[in-house]
Amino acid sequence: MGQGTPGGLNRQLPGDRKNDGDKKEKKFEPSAPPARVGRKQRKQKGPEAAARLPTVTPLTKCKLRLLKLERIKDYLLMEEEFVANQERLKPQEEKTEEDRSKVDDLRGSPMSVGNLEELIDENHAIVSSSVGPEYYVGILSFVDKDQLEPGCAILMHNKVLSVVGLLQDDVDPMVSVMKVEKAPLESYADIGGLDAQIQEIKEAVELPLTHPELYEDIGIKPPKGVILYGEPGTGKTLLAKAVANSTSATFLRVVGSELIQKYLGDGPKLVRELFRVADDLSPSIVFIDEIDAVGTKRYDAHSGGEREIQRTMLELLNQLDGFDSRGDVKVILATNKIESLDPALLRPGRIDRKIEFPLPDIKTRRRIFQIHTARMTLADDVNLEEFVMTKDEFSGADIKAICTEAGLLALRERRMKVTHADFKKAKDKVMFKKKEGVPEGLYM
Amino acid sequence: MSKTPDPNSTGASGSKSNREEATIKVPSKDPKKKDDKKDEDLSEEDLALKQQLELYVERVQDADAGLQKVALESMRQEIRTATSSMTSVPKPLKFLRPHYGTLKGNYEKMPDSDVKKLLADILSVLALTMSAEGERESLKYRLLGSQGDIGSWGHEYVRNLAGEISQEYGKRQSEEAPIDDLMELVQQIVAFHMKHNAEPEAVDLLMEVEDLDLLVEHVDSTNYKRTCSYLTSSAKYLPGPDDMLVLDIAYTIYMKFEEYPSALVTALYLDNTQYVKQVFTSCDDLLRKKQFCYILARHGQTFELDTEMCAEDEERERLQEIINNTKLSEGYLTLARDIEVMEAKTPEDIYKPHLLDGRASAGASVDSARQNLASTFVNAFVNAGFSQDKLMTVPSEASSGAASTSWLFKNKEHGKASAAASLGMILLWDVDSGLAQLDKYFHSTDTHVIAGALLGVGIVNCGIKNECDPALALLAEYIDKEDPSIRIGAIMGLGLAYAGSQNEQIRDKLTPILGDSKASLDVLAFTAISLGLVYVGSCNEEIAQAIIFALMERIESELGEPFARLLPLGLGLLYLGKQESVEATAEVSKTFNEKIRKHCDMTLLSCAYAGTGNVLKVQHFLGQCAQHFEKGETFQGPAVLGIAMVAMAEELGLEMAIRSLEHLLQYGEQNIRRAVPLALALLCISNPKVNVMDTLSRLSHDSDSEVAMAAIVSLGLIGAGTNNARIAGMLRNLSSYYYKEANLLFCVRIAQGLVHLGKGLLTLSPYHSEHFLLSPTALAGLVTLLYACLDMKAIVLGKYHYILYFLTLAMQPRMLLTVDENLKPLSVPVRVGQAVDVVGQAGRPKTITGFQTHSTPVLLAAGDRAELATEKYTPLSPILEGFVILKENPDYRDDQ
Repeated sequence: MGQGTPGGLNRQLPGDRKNDGDKKEKKFEPSAPPARVGRKQRKQKGPEAAARLPTVTPLTKCKLRLLKLERIKDYLLMEEEFVANQERLKPQEEKTEEDRSKVDDLRGSPMSVGNLEELIDENHAIVSSSVGPEYYVGILSFVDKDQLEPGCAILMHNKVLSVVGLLQDDVDPMVSVMKVEKAPLESYADIGGLDAQIQEIKEAVELPLTHPELYEDIGIKPPKGVILYGEPGTGKTLLAKAVANSTSATFLRVVGSELIQKYLGDGPKLVRELFRVADDLSPSIVFIDEIDAVGTKRYDAHSGGEREIQRTMLELLNQLDGFDSRGDVKVILATNKIESLDPALLRPGRIDRKIEFPLPDIKTRRRIFQIHTARMTLADDVNLEEFVMTKDEFSGADIKAICTEAGLLALRERRMKVTHADFKKAKDKVMFKKKEGVPEGLYM
Repeated sequence: MSKTPDPNSTGASGSKSNREEATIKVPSKDPKKKDDKKDEDLSEEDLALKQQLELYVERVQDADAGLQKVALESMRQEIRTATSSMTSVPKPLKFLRPHYGTLKGNYEKMPDSDVKKLLADILSVLALTMSAEGERESLKYRLLGSQGDIGSWGHEYVRNLAGEISQEYGKRQSEEAPIDDLMELVQQIVAFHMKHNAEPEAVDLLMEVEDLDLLVEHVDSTNYKRTCSYLTSSAKYLPGPDDMLVLDIAYTIYMKFEEYPSALVTALYLDNTQYVKQVFTSCDDLLRKKQFCYILARHGQTFELDTEMCAEDEERERLQEIINNTKLSEGYLTLARDIEVMEAKTPEDIYKPHLLDGRASAGASVDSARQNLASTFVNAFVNAGFSQDKLMTVPSEASSGAASTSWLFKNKEHGKASAAASLGMILLWDVDSGLAQLDKYFHSTDTHVIAGALLGVGIVNCGIKNECDPALALLAEYIDKEDPSIRIGAIMGLGLAYAGSQNEQIRDKLTPILGDSKASLDVLAFTAISLGLVYVGSCNEEIAQAIIFALMERIESELGEPFARLLPLGLGLLYLGKQESVEATAEVSKTFNEKIRKHCDMTLLSCAYAGTGNVLKVQHFLGQCAQHFEKGETFQGPAVLGIAMVAMAEELGLEMAIRSLEHLLQYGEQNIRRAVPLALALLCISNPKVNVMDTLSRLSHDSDSEVAMAAIVSLGLIGAGTNNARIAGMLRNLSSYYYKEANLLFCVRIAQGLVHLGKGLLTLSPYHSEHFLLSPTALAGLVTLLYACLDMKAIVLGKYHYILYFLTLAMQPRMLLTVDENLKPLSVPVRVGQAVDVVGQAGRPKTITGFQTHSTPVLLAAGDRAELATEKYTPLSPILEGFVILKENPDYRDDQ
């Protein structure tokens, strides 16, 4: 926080010029009223609205599109040429620098951070700082009044407490943590089998972001989101990681339980915030793991906590397919209890595709064994086929557990190679624990 | 996995041994360990497929032709049946990749035969993924191959081939090599694309090989609309002369499928009278011809029907009546009655002073003559065309019998001219009663009143043609009067009444004035503009000469006057939109006195390239604006307007030009900054875009009063006829902000009047027919006003405020009025919503979004489109704007 550029400065120059003009004229002139007061333009945020280029309509790759894009490029080149010329003739830098220092003088230092309580008229507002009472203060003319709204964080002069700027960086820190900055190491190649699932998720999530024209060509709307479901340990999260690894889109990941907050209304707010950030950073993929934490069927809840969880889900429903259309935001949900989810969450339009992750079949099992044993030193007598062909039901995670267990057994006996016997023992151990009703997933 | 017929089914024993041999052989042949590892990664089916394919490759190298053929056949089968995910390479192709080289080598060695052709086919497909960039092997082998059905290899193959053809074509063109074999292939591909809903691709390919004529053979009734819409929308972005060629093809296709209204619109875009005539002669249906006439009337084109186009005299007269717009007033009043806005409004109703804080209304009357003049204009704009108001047309027998005259005389001197002319505006398009009511002013002794009446006659007749030419008869005698204001009134009246008509009588009457050395400069300027309007876009040499001489003869001191700067505009209007035709005149203009030379050059260029979207010209103008001068130069204003005039042609250019204008605001000197709001106004005329509105609102408080004035008037122009509440609110606030400054307040009032133009039923946009056609007269009127606004103080705020009436040329009802076969208004439900660009989209996408259902007549805002919500009628024009004739649908059956 606190790094956001104060609003009054990054506006166009004519505004500044006007202020200069005002100073020259002696007689008092009321400054121009702001175009609107009190509500911020949501849409125009993110990249400055003025800098946004017009959309080019046929999404199909065709000559018309090429021509249109070229037209835009021509104009941009002309702009570049013009601005470069002007900069050479009349360096803007110095002037802005001058203006900036002037504004900085007016602002004083240090500035205190406060909260805007209420806008009274064009030039006055009630503010409060974290300590102490509320004040009725003036707003300096260089503050961009269009962006002031009640409740926003502002900078105040240290002595007279007038509003001298505003803090724009209002992304909830909770959300910024969710952004995956470092791509996970798992890629599609690390997934054994699941070919159909990979294809489905590629078609539903990646292709609409990379090749929207394919959908346009055929005349359909790309799916908005997918839900991955299946037994524990069948690779749902792994696949999501692979998607994050391969995509260049912003990847936001949340666990369902993170959406449950201490205070009333915080959960839905977080969901809103999450999708707003996703929209700002679009194209983006939102991955919500263990969605059953918030997405269970609605029922008559008795405690406030339960109701709050349901409200969080309702907000999620709205964000998935509500009134405002989401642009390039794709949603991946993962759960292992799809039957307990609210049907409204799963209806087409919100989550268009349901991808099941079955327990691996023989072929897949072989692949998974191969992947996990690829870096292990195996003795010559190891016959993986025996485990592959077994009748027991393994999930991908079970197989991993067997391999790890076998490796551990070998370590225990200080051998450098893992033998077939190790594997056998490991398998028995894993299966035993699984059958004994020890909580699933607690393998060791 | 698709099971393919085994090529070896002929001999069972042979097959087994063969396969074993292959399976053993292949791994041993791959010495690289890497490949081995890859094999392991494959699933069993894939491995099997791979081995199968390797076997085929092996076979192809076999000496036995029969065996070769069988192997190739099955290889082909394998490739064709393969399906996979959208983005990955089909498996058979992937596995055959390593063998591409082998197969190629093999092909070279083969003797000519059918088998060889078969192999060429397969190589051609393989080249899809294998061939290096620019090699065009796919095409090479395709041409060598069997030339079979092209579609059987799938879309991707055809698409790739099309790309290679266009490269090859370019190469052969430069080498002047024959292209017959290529064209044959193009034929096949185009036919394939057209059959498979890929019209854009077909058109693209034909554009690449410069043979669009082929298209005409391949379109059919199911896809011609999509093809043509693609062609017409490409035209705006293609460099000349390709754009004309493309539209020509579109016209031909429309004619082929008897889609006459669209053909007519295309013909009008091409500005080709021959084509227009052809539309009339090829259509036999009288009703449809009437629809054509409505389209022509909206375009503002003067057009005479002859016997060839309509044999029967009586019918021809009826058609000509429609073209002459005689029924426009009637239709407009029908709309007004339907929407219930007939009640006349006073300027006070527009100003809404009760919504403001106390101070403004208290200290209002600073300059009451100026205020009354403003009210006169507001009254005229708001009640335009309604034939009634509360200031000018109050019935004489009423208690306030003297009210009408008294309002006229509440204005001072030249103000009276505008007041008298405002009556013409109120009675707009209603020639008969308009002339009758204006008649009383002709007997006045006040020269200003007479001047106003003359101008009023012109306004009433604006856009209407009448058999007996009342305007010419009335105005002609006043042209040579001594008094300059009467002369100007008459001249301007003629210009308005006959804009675009190319009437020779007017030329004969007006050109002598230009040569008259005694005539004052303002008379000269108005003469030049009127001539420019009458002969707009005609490139008339004679008039051009006259204006050039006038410019050359004037002494130097006069050329610095604001009015001298309107003379080049008259010259420019002659070449409006005519592009290169202007060059000769532009050369001549270089010899002018240096005071006016640059100004003239800019004006001519901007007019000539108006509405073309020519990027080079925009660049030229931007370059001119980039210069800085110590003393304000006048030519930069026209250059800024020129950017807008050129870029307004299409949506993208328009938005990008708005961006460029932002830069001009940042870096430009005052003279440029003054013109920027006007340029923005032209770009978004009657189309209040929020971002432009914000920019103008910011500029309306600028410390430079001329910038502020231009911004205020521009606010009025972008909201013209929309009743936009936000702009109205801004202007109200401005009126209290500037309550002490008469000049600025006057501008605010004018802008308020413009926002409520015709009580919100009119538009000033020169574009119509779904933003496709540009009406030259409307544009000319707008440009004239904007040029006048470049020097607001001298012209609009001075004695020549009636120059505002040039806006009449651009005024058109923004309505959809459906009429039945007898041309009587017919109310049907229509859906009105934001238009969506559906060019090049698959299927039958929605053309409008966020629609509401109304019953006609309805208003259409900028960017709106309407469609009929009932099957009961079919419209005779696909573009539902203005007057549309509906025919009963014979296939319609009521559900009940």
